Amino acid sequence: MPRRNPASADRRVQRRKERVPRGDAFRCAGCRADVPFHAPGTAHRNHCPQCLTSLHVDRRVPGDRAAGCGGRMEALSLSTRPDGEWLLIHHCLVCGELSANRIAGDDNPLVLLRMAVRPLSDSRVPARAMLVL
Amino acid sequence: MSNTNPPSPSTGSRTETFTCVRCGRTVGAFTPDGLRRNHCPSCLHSRHVHDHVEGGPSECLSRMSPISIAVPRDGDWKVIHRCTRCDELTANRVQVDDNQLILMRLAVRPLAQPPFPLEVFGEL
Repeated sequence: MPRRNPASADRRVQRRKERVPRGDAFRCAGCRADVPFHAPGTAHRNHCPQCLTSLHVDRRVPGDRAAGCGGRMEALSLSTRPDGEWLLIHHCLVCGELSANRIAGDDNPLVLLRMAVRPLSDSRVPARAMLVL
Repeated sequence: MSNTNPPSPSTGSRTETFTCVRCGRTVGAFTPDGLRRNHCPSCLHSRHVHDHVEGGPSECLSRMSPISIAVPRDGDWKVIHRCTRCDELTANRVQVDDNQLILMRLAVRPLAQPPFPLEVFGEL
């Protein structure tokens, strides 16, 4: 009869945060910049800080490398967590999958701000919202 | 609410309705211009009934809350929904009679809580 160990049975499997990368940098698929894996403010850097392009390699858990797609992912929009953290929504150009990732401390603020004001610079919907009032 | 497929008003009855899982409003399944609805027009919440990874119906059936607005270079705005139970993300087109105030609230929310001071950008 197998030994029962209740202490280990209900222990939750922790998400593995440390992936052992080859080298200490990756090359961006969009702008070809060399990006170090270490990022200020996050342990899960998955996009280039300059052009915000990512690669479709992970499925649900950061670092699991379970997606077989490998396509380029472009930043689609910005979202906000209830505590005010910004999230980038990426969509895969090959299979259309969406994913969310927190922004890193060294992401280009100009590019981020441009994404944030993009809905406001479109004149159609703000005008309609004002008409509702 | 149930479908992201291309509109096919002929397959369903034009009087078909559904009840929003969040605000309880009874809404028609088709918009005034004949497209099938995916989310409630007043609170923009949806329901996870379609599995986007494998296709076909999903067994999650939980509420999906709108988290962001995407503006593609061409075409209409999209609402990004996130399932409150399994964290699946979907993108759906904004319909003509969607609540414009909630859309604007989603659009300006990142600017209300910026991670860096915005005054610097005024000097650029």
